[in-house]
Amino acid sequence: MSRAVRPALVGAGVLALASLTFWAPTFWVSIGIQALIFAIFAMSLDLLLGYGGMPSFGHAAFYGAGALGCAWIWLRHPGIGFLPLAAACIGIAALLAVPIGALSLRVRGVYFLMLTLAFGQMLWGYAYQAPREVLGGSDGLIGVGRPPLDLVQNLDQGLWLLAGLSPRGVAVRDFYNLTLVVAVVVLVILLLLVRSPFGRTLEGIRENEHRMRAFGVPTFRYRLAAFVVAGALAGLAGALATLFNGFANSGSLYWTNSGLVLIAAVVGGTRSLIGPALGAFLVLIVQDALSSFSQRWPLLLGAIFIGFVLFLPGGLAGLGRLSRTLTVRP
Amino acid sequence: MQTQALTVRFGAVAALSEVSLDVAAGERRAVIGPNGAGKTTLFNAITGDLRAGSGGIRLDGHDVTRLASWRRARRGLARTFQRSTLFPELSVAENLGLAVRARLGGGWCFLPGGGGRLALEVAERLQQAGLAAQAGRPARTLGHGEQRSLEIELAMAAHPRALLLDEPMAGLSGAERRLALERLRALPRDMTLIIVEHDLDAVFAIADRITVLDHGVVIADGSPPAVRADRLVQEVYLGRPA
Repeated sequence: MSRAVRPALVGAGVLALASLTFWAPTFWVSIGIQALIFAIFAMSLDLLLGYGGMPSFGHAAFYGAGALGCAWIWLRHPGIGFLPLAAACIGIAALLAVPIGALSLRVRGVYFLMLTLAFGQMLWGYAYQAPREVLGGSDGLIGVGRPPLDLVQNLDQGLWLLAGLSPRGVAVRDFYNLTLVVAVVVLVILLLLVRSPFGRTLEGIRENEHRMRAFGVPTFRYRLAAFVVAGALAGLAGALATLFNGFANSGSLYWTNSGLVLIAAVVGGTRSLIGPALGAFLVLIVQDALSSFSQRWPLLLGAIFIGFVLFLPGGLAGLGRLSRTLTVRP
Repeated sequence: MQTQALTVRFGAVAALSEVSLDVAAGERRAVIGPNGAGKTTLFNAITGDLRAGSGGIRLDGHDVTRLASWRRARRGLARTFQRSTLFPELSVAENLGLAVRARLGGGWCFLPGGGGRLALEVAERLQQAGLAAQAGRPARTLGHGEQRSLEIELAMAAHPRALLLDEPMAGLSGAERRLALERLRALPRDMTLIIVEHDLDAVFAIADRITVLDHGVVIADGSPPAVRADRLVQEVYLGRPA
């Protein structure tokens, strides 16, 4: 496999995803939306887990903040455009990530994991018991306008022209295209970020933080910045989920959501961005395909997870590497 | 570089008690002493990897006792580690790239690119460290001698005004020792050098002054001939009966 193969594969994958609305039934387009949203969530975690070496078990806090924030804003400003709404949700999640990161990043490894879990559960507890008029309590915030048709009118025309769509399409299909554009933008942003001097520095901190400090690098600030960026992008994923579902509730903050995205990232293969996105697709397909005829889908998901950890630690993204080592003998 | 009555305790044990050093700018100082004398603890306290219980540390006349280690590094203090502390999974060139970037700044750039100057310096330093042929290999695959060499080059990439070398010769073979000694002697003369080393031939070849530590206490401090002649030093360290 040459170096050009991977970008070509990714490009082909994006094209295949872009063609989905032309041939797939609406049911699959809906699953595609959920998978893309979950992929954005998983890619944001990869920045933290794979590139930063920070195993967060509370990443749902930011996803949920984006989701609930989106519903909260929508219900007060119905019909608000997508770009200002997305920017606001990114901002909310980022603001929340600053104090949580600043406190959690004082410890490492399993302690970091437990602290992020605790913060996530605290937020969930708050949202679950919050007064109905604030965050909807256990019912959540219902009645977010089924966005696409309303959204389309407010969305920057350019984005739609880019997607080559008329604003009068079927709502779900338009929303799918919007989600795909956002997912590709997030992928490109993260790909640039991890190859930037900032990304290299973050990688150095993951490999040997002590030495980086001896070089004069304020490692805490870099780790916090990565934590905030990852949180902000998770918030974007949460906002998209709210717009698609038409509601948001405290469940999006719950720790199982953090666990599921961790599974997706590990199964897909961290430090590759594409891997966690693939893992998100796999997890969602397993969940959706099996939950329709069995309540036991977590069992299969668990088995898949164990299988990957034991036999393919590089995850789905490691498959290419594996086939290379099997076929090419130097 | 000065320390004033520096004391570090681990529980009830004083690893350093009231250690005062005064190293002039450009001086080459060796710190020797038996295992467990507190030499590495002294380094850790100077660089800020360890908080001093009491006492003070000054760099270029500035009090840095309360500064975080990375801030002290920014003030021109670099160190190497007794056990090579590299980026094992990254290539040798990437190891050096991290060190050079830390000095040049620009770590807050969020877009790729701008690595021309960096690549140039990395190539130079690869030559300097004799590792040009190994540039693409992960640091963990290097031999011990090569790792020690990279260890020093990583510290030098910071353009330090004071360099702390923690047993740079540890574990080197005879031929590697001679090369390493040559390299240490060729270090810029205007850089302050503090070296902890068990190879006494190397110490006497490099140092302008020698400080002898034992059980966390300075027991001698002077020119190499004076320290060699010191009775107490002979007793506790050089192993000869007084």
